[in-house]
Amino acid sequence: MDIKREDILHLANLSDFSLSDAEIESLGEDLQGIIRYISQLEELDTDGIEPTYQVFEMENVWREDEIKPQDASREQLLALTKEEKDNQIKVPKVL
Amino acid sequence: MKYIPTIGVECHVQLCTKTKLFSEVDNDARGKEPNSCVSPVDYALPGMLPRLNGEAIRFAILAGKAMNCKINNYSRFDRKHYFYPDSPKGYQITQFYHPIIGEGYVDLPSGERVRIEHAHLEGDAGKLTHFDKYSLVDLNRVDTPLIEIVSMPDIHSAKDAHDYCKELWRLMCFTGVTNGDLYNGNMRFDVNTSIAPEGSNELGTRTEVKNLNSFRSVERAIEYEIARQTKVLKSGEKVIQETRGWNDATGKTTGQRSKEEAKDYRYMPEPDLPPINLTQEFIDTEAAKLPMMPSEYKAKFAGIIADDTLEVLLDYPELMKKLGEISAGDDSSETVSREPYEASEESEPRDGEREQTLSKKNVSALKLLSNLFASVLLAEEKSAEYLNDLPTAMELSELAEMNEKKELSSTATKEVFLRLFDPQMKGRGTKNIAKELGLIQENDLDALEAIVDTVLAKPETQKAQDDFRNGEEKVIGFLVGQVMKESHGKANPSAVQEILRKKLK
Repeated sequence: MDIKREDILHLANLSDFSLSDAEIESLGEDLQGIIRYISQLEELDTDGIEPTYQVFEMENVWREDEIKPQDASREQLLALTKEEKDNQIKVPKVL
Repeated sequence: MKYIPTIGVECHVQLCTKTKLFSEVDNDARGKEPNSCVSPVDYALPGMLPRLNGEAIRFAILAGKAMNCKINNYSRFDRKHYFYPDSPKGYQITQFYHPIIGEGYVDLPSGERVRIEHAHLEGDAGKLTHFDKYSLVDLNRVDTPLIEIVSMPDIHSAKDAHDYCKELWRLMCFTGVTNGDLYNGNMRFDVNTSIAPEGSNELGTRTEVKNLNSFRSVERAIEYEIARQTKVLKSGEKVIQETRGWNDATGKTTGQRSKEEAKDYRYMPEPDLPPINLTQEFIDTEAAKLPMMPSEYKAKFAGIIADDTLEVLLDYPELMKKLGEISAGDDSSETVSREPYEASEESEPRDGEREQTLSKKNVSALKLLSNLFASVLLAEEKSAEYLNDLPTAMELSELAEMNEKKELSSTATKEVFLRLFDPQMKGRGTKNIAKELGLIQENDLDALEAIVDTVLAKPETQKAQDDFRNGEEKVIGFLVGQVMKESHGKANPSAVQEILRKKLK
């Protein structure tokens, strides 16, 4: 599978990234490399083998439903945003 | 040409767990400041890891069982990627490949059956408020646990869709997994509607109307879509597959500008959450905690509580549970006050309890109390408040008993009934309240006879007595009134009338 310029633009659009021509070029090369590697793996016959979702073999890890004090305050969290208003995060209008 | 509509519904139910699905922060943001119920996990700070809330799994089992669904032993989470400011992570954690709830069905009151395709756990998104040039983001709702219930396209009318949504709401409220506050979006419905010529084997192109939060808007939006699509097809055009927004004020749906290929969510397994692998024993133990469902109450109270009254009361699980307790009770107070919940936890056979035939006393108590609930309690301004703190089954049974024995007139019964909810009077006991208010009727025949004699001896009643003896039936009312007055309203009027008639022969 070849990564085309449109594929890069499509992915960038989904993640709301704006990319320069140079970035599109270099990302294209990187992704092509990754896909080459994956294609190599795909040569293996995996018919009838359950997909591996994780390698730790853990399951049923859950916690009790109890409220715990949080390490970070609202003020600290809001301080990380570019802009805030009325204790909310202010973002450019979407849609 | 006649067109047949086909409708499928996706319903999001907010679960009322104490904490969120993936963080140990308060899940109840009602009346709280924006962004005050937010943890670094919800904020998606780098390195933060989700920790699954076990209660959400238990709730999912109950919700699934309420819809006659298979509970899957194995389930797991996936990331659904999308870019929008309501999701700091850039993806929603959901169960795309292996949902916890499998196939099932919901029966509508009309007898129609709607099959459930599956239902899964996922986190809710944050709330955006849009202004002219910017939007504000409140993350309190981020990762509130949701169950998304996906129906099969088994519905063929707007009315049935309405009934299906209402039935889901009742089921979820009765299981107790949600607060069920529709106004505040505790349950939201997305409806897929298509139409096809009658007899056709293929479904038409569907449209999706998202985020409806009332049964009425579900019904209206579908009615509108059916009419709109019919018009489009009749004019020889094609229905476009799209998401449409519902405007409650105009009663219309409009096409929403959606990004091209917006549905490319790039699902991938969530590596931060190990899979869930439930033993059948765990599932069965949790499922056994399912309280009585609306259909079971209907079967139990059929013929005792009038259909229309029952239909009203079924919107209030607290009241149905209370009536259930009353019907389960015998004379020992212990049994009367026992919660049906606890009964099932003690692994008592619930079926046995249900087969128990109702005593005559319980039947008349249920008739009286169901009427009082429906026509007196729910008419009260403060009824919502009262519902949170109902009198005990024993207090209510006692009220019914006093009414049955004519110790309380019907007016007095209503008055004492309301006082049982009064924070000033609460917990004092029905009899004490009735006594304090001086509402207990005098049924002691000797005492009544003495009062009647006093009244008959008064000069101002002589003419009425003569008139009655001369066949003027209606003056009996005046005489009863005089006795009632003399007894300060405590005499039982029918007993008084009987005594009067005997004496005036």
